[in-house]
Amino acid sequence: MTSLRLFFDPLAPAGLWLGGAFFLLLLLLPYWGGSYVMTVATTVFYLALIGQSWNLMLGFAGLLSIGHALFVGIGAYTAAYLFAAIGLPPIVGVLPAVGLAVLMGLLIGYLGFRFAIGGVYFALLTIAFAEFVRVMIDHASWLGATEGFFLKVTEADRHSVDLVNLRGTPEMYYYLIMALALGALVLCRYLLHSRLGYYWQAIRDDAEAADALGVDVLRYKMYAVAISAGMAGVAGVFYAFYQNSLFPEIVFNIERSIEATLGSIVGGVGTLFGPIFGTFILTPLGEIVTEAIDLLKHWQVIDPETRLDGLKLLIWGFIVVLIVLFKPRGLWPWVCGRLRLIRTEAES
Amino acid sequence: MSDKMKDMKTSSASRRTVLVGAGAGAVAAAVPLRRGLAASRIKVGILLPRSGPQAQTGIDCQRGADIAPDVLRAMGYPELEYMLGDTETKVDIARAQAEKLIDAGAHVIVGAFDSGQTMAAAQVCEQRNIPLVVNIAAVPKLTELGYKWVFRSFPTGPMIVGDAFRNQKKLFGMNGATPKSVALLHVNDTFGTSLAGALFALTPKFKMPYKIVEKISYDPYGRDFSAEVRKVKAAKPEALWAVSRLNDAIAITKELVRQRVDLMGILSTGPGWYEDAYLKATGKYGNDVINLAPWIDFKKEMARKMRDAFRNKFPGRNMNTNHGYTFDAMLIVADAFKRAGSTRNTDLQTALQTTNITNNTTIGEGIKFNKKGQVPHVPCAAVQNRDGKPLVVLPEYAAVAKPTWPMRPWTKR
Repeated sequence: MTSLRLFFDPLAPAGLWLGGAFFLLLLLLPYWGGSYVMTVATTVFYLALIGQSWNLMLGFAGLLSIGHALFVGIGAYTAAYLFAAIGLPPIVGVLPAVGLAVLMGLLIGYLGFRFAIGGVYFALLTIAFAEFVRVMIDHASWLGATEGFFLKVTEADRHSVDLVNLRGTPEMYYYLIMALALGALVLCRYLLHSRLGYYWQAIRDDAEAADALGVDVLRYKMYAVAISAGMAGVAGVFYAFYQNSLFPEIVFNIERSIEATLGSIVGGVGTLFGPIFGTFILTPLGEIVTEAIDLLKHWQVIDPETRLDGLKLLIWGFIVVLIVLFKPRGLWPWVCGRLRLIRTEAES
Repeated sequence: MSDKMKDMKTSSASRRTVLVGAGAGAVAAAVPLRRGLAASRIKVGILLPRSGPQAQTGIDCQRGADIAPDVLRAMGYPELEYMLGDTETKVDIARAQAEKLIDAGAHVIVGAFDSGQTMAAAQVCEQRNIPLVVNIAAVPKLTELGYKWVFRSFPTGPMIVGDAFRNQKKLFGMNGATPKSVALLHVNDTFGTSLAGALFALTPKFKMPYKIVEKISYDPYGRDFSAEVRKVKAAKPEALWAVSRLNDAIAITKELVRQRVDLMGILSTGPGWYEDAYLKATGKYGNDVINLAPWIDFKKEMARKMRDAFRNKFPGRNMNTNHGYTFDAMLIVADAFKRAGSTRNTDLQTALQTTNITNNTTIGEGIKFNKKGQVPHVPCAAVQNRDGKPLVVLPEYAAVAKPTWPMRPWTKR
């Protein structure tokens, strides 16, 4: 309850009302949105969860990772394998999955921080490990290698709601990922305002000064990597049981890692709501561009016979560039300021 | 207004409806009823990667779908109305687009070229009880997981690999020239590593007359292949077996010519070496390459009709496996709809299960699914590049030319 109180405290009345209305809208989405909208929203929450975990590393502790797909992949493969091989339900399998992701995070972190590899070099280390694990799984026949790893789904599974085995309807997956993303948000809010969070921010702003003040920089950086990897591992477990098929080239692809960063960059690195807000802007934006193109064709502004495949990605990329250029701190701080969603210090 | 324009209007309006969410729940609830009505046309959602890294191949597959409605109508099949979904070469987008197409009223989904994206679409189709007719995807598990709504006429990976060996043996036997040593050159991405690994491992099992004397991998984004070709030259193989993509295939050919690496033959499994861009870029040096791949049988009436329509719509382009298998997927849908007489999902499913098409466009006896939704044996071909065109040289019943083997030296072309 303390973390919930902490969570709502900084919100201004406008923020509470808008946030509440938006939450209600999302809560009722399966009833008004249809399958497609729900699938997009599921993807948004999934990306928001990974974005939140990535933001914890860069935004809170100043550690740049471009290999976050690694932790997602490890979580996904571990839980899926344990389920397929010995029938371990994912509600239990999530523990070893997160454990392995954390171990991998600690290994990378130790190698990086112990030998003072920082900044972009640390980012390169994360990419290298993601590639290394991908190549290993490419050759691991017991994990399906390049042919992919599959989870069996029966007809009954598709129409049940089985949270223990993560088998069920799209609505179940939607509410689950929504809960996980919101849980990650509350956790991050709690961490950010804990002693740990203040240490991280001190390290982020000036690691040498933090060290001089007695902060154990290595240890707290390791905590950041471990918690971030663990959160990404949870996202991986969800991914495995939602998709039911895992291909190393897809799961560990660097594009997946970059995707995890985009929401946070657009929303606002280091902010709490930034990753969620960013993904809620980016993913639907792509869909809106597609619809806009269809409308222009429908109104014959564009010849309906014209194929504009890929134009969406161009426009989408252009808008992202504009956001990064003109709102380098991200959209969330700007929106908050304009709509007075957060209390100012004087109001608090 | 053309039929296609009408189609696009329909699809656009439906999707907008879905996006704004107005009454989407009611639409979803009404879908089973709507599917129960007898209809004169069927809505096909075509799901392909038309942007992103696989865009070129996705767009190429689309060409096969583009010509299908007119050709099939002329052959007495019912009207096909299609809607497009772009996967952007991403699994999660493939899933969302499959949902979108179904929400927009698609009775059947066709796609999605790539195994991962097809798997994602299969999940949706199983959940929504909508048939998925696969155009191209070779992962065996797709039809091994007990899916009831997935149907595939494309060969699985093991079928492609097995036939690659069998066709080589026939090729060597026909011409009395058998290489004793082969170098395996492959791109080191997932596709290339997996396929090359299988070829390497299965060579002894198939009792091939040669030894693989060198296995060379290279980066998919490589531009300079002089070192790799030098390695090939040093190994002195009599033939080269390549697993490549397009740009690397072009660069490797140019390097083989530059370094004067004369071989008994170049064998290729996978894309690249038969594609139009390859044939144009390499000119006479692209000739004589043997591609071991699933292919079109131009001796079949349907394939010839498809070719005529293709030449009209896309003059100057060669046809390849992307067109044939995507066209066949549309044919499977049209045939099932014709026999079912309705667009009800269960009627279509039953009709698909009893498919028996002999006049299709691709090599083999025809299309007849087993209980898993897979055509049990889909033969592959040996296709040789001749004067800038890929021509079937094996199997004999589908061959339109005799193979040139050994291939001509680079200097005598």
